[in-house]
Amino acid sequence: MITGGLDLGAGVIKGALVEDGRRVLATASVPSRGIPVRAARRVMDDLGEAANIAPGEVDYLCTTGFGRYTIPERNLQVSDFTSSARGAIFLFPKTRLVVDIGTQASRTMSVSETGKVLKFKMNEKCAAGAGRFVERCSKYLQIPLEEMGPKALASENPKLISSVCAVLAETEIINNVAEGVALPDILMGVFLSLSQRAYSLMRYVGIQPEVTLVGGLVRNVGMVRALHATVGMEVNVAPDAYYAAALGSAILGHSRVLKLARGPGGAGG
Amino acid sequence: MSAIVAGVDIGSTTAKCVVLGEDSRLLGKSLSVVGIDIVKDAERALESALADAHVSRSDVSFITGTGYGRYKVYFGQLVVTEISCHAKGSNFLFPGTRLVIDIGGQDTKAIRLNEKGEVVDFAMNDKCAAGTGRFLDVCANALGYDVSEIGPLSLQARRAVKVTSTCTVFAESEVTSHVSRGKDPKEILAGLHASIANRTLSLMQRVGVEPEITFTGGVSQNEGMVHALRQRLGTPVNVSPLSQYLGALGAALHGRERLSGGAS
Repeated sequence: MITGGLDLGAGVIKGALVEDGRRVLATASVPSRGIPVRAARRVMDDLGEAANIAPGEVDYLCTTGFGRYTIPERNLQVSDFTSSARGAIFLFPKTRLVVDIGTQASRTMSVSETGKVLKFKMNEKCAAGAGRFVERCSKYLQIPLEEMGPKALASENPKLISSVCAVLAETEIINNVAEGVALPDILMGVFLSLSQRAYSLMRYVGIQPEVTLVGGLVRNVGMVRALHATVGMEVNVAPDAYYAAALGSAILGHSRVLKLARGPGGAGG
Repeated sequence: MSAIVAGVDIGSTTAKCVVLGEDSRLLGKSLSVVGIDIVKDAERALESALADAHVSRSDVSFITGTGYGRYKVYFGQLVVTEISCHAKGSNFLFPGTRLVIDIGGQDTKAIRLNEKGEVVDFAMNDKCAAGTGRFLDVCANALGYDVSEIGPLSLQARRAVKVTSTCTVFAESEVTSHVSRGKDPKEILAGLHASIANRTLSLMQRVGVEPEITFTGGVSQNEGMVHALRQRLGTPVNVSPLSQYLGALGAALHGRERLSGGAS
């Protein structure tokens, strides 16, 4: 059985095709600019092409993320917490704490062995703890987004940011540039500031190993280094962790199909 | 006491200076943008106000610094917090003031006064750009306007488009998406002003809303904001063309008290 997962995030739409809830067939993503439904169809087409599967062969589609209700052909939708957690457990079965840093929100949840969310905390009100902050820095520092992380790794003496607001931090960062602070140090300061925000969410939920980072920022090596330094323990990262919520929703879709097949008694929730 | 005194208020965005003469009559004032060299900006603010007052520096008996950059007013004899200065300035201009709402370039304060004009409580937001002049700057920019245009434009709107984001960064994206959906920029502006009024009210409620209310700081010169605040509060709000100078005015008055040996 092939199930699809679509994660309609604020910045990027991510998708995954999973066979029998276990084997990843394909992953794909496109920016969410424009009409989300159209972008989501493109993701589905790309997935089909990558896995060599016709649209009709996807047995069940489960959506998640900010725009999960906008896809008419979905069979099921699940919250971002549930799908991210499930995806993290799939990638790293010993995960007990998931940190999900996206474009517009960051969230953290503690999970059970089965991927059940036990406790969670999220910040969606303020850009300072989210990828949007990095995007803005990239714009006014005129460094391409994908170079921010690698450049930060050269930092020897990170310049910490005292502002807790993305807009006020902008002034501070520009002043630092004017004062001649080295660029890698400024960039690492940005990632450390994000890490500190994530860390306070994590502490609220309770820090226990293993910690797994998922979501848009997991591809950023600067972010990973900073989070590792801030938390003071290993943080699981994997290329597919970028698609954790999409993978998780495809897997949850599979579980739902099995539950439905078992009869009406199991079809609750 | 007939000596000439000056107050210099170095804010995050602009520097204000006021020169007071006999009987605290306003002799001159200046308003200028603050850059990287705050020490020089403070000097320049004083020089321009003195020129405006036709007074030479040696005629000034006492100078007081206030605001975010008050410790850079090296030529002053006294430094007072802006909370205390806005309170004093407001009380001088509107003696019935019990609550001062100061919206500046980068922070917002609500200051409650007693009958004598003394500060009894205050609340402030200096951690986050939401609800400050910076928020208006960013949103004006997103709509392609100068910040001076947006207040009057917002007043032309027949209804307001609701802006739900608190965060300045998210509000900026929200504004852009409203524009792309064909909403009238004036109505978006009305919504933005209403959103700041809401935030301001919650700050005011932390110290207690009590008339008379005096609006100070740079944003008090935005008519759209004055209107939105009056609407949200359902009460009059004192504003004057001098509202932006009330921190500097308060500083000058503190200096005068110090000079005459009174408590400051």
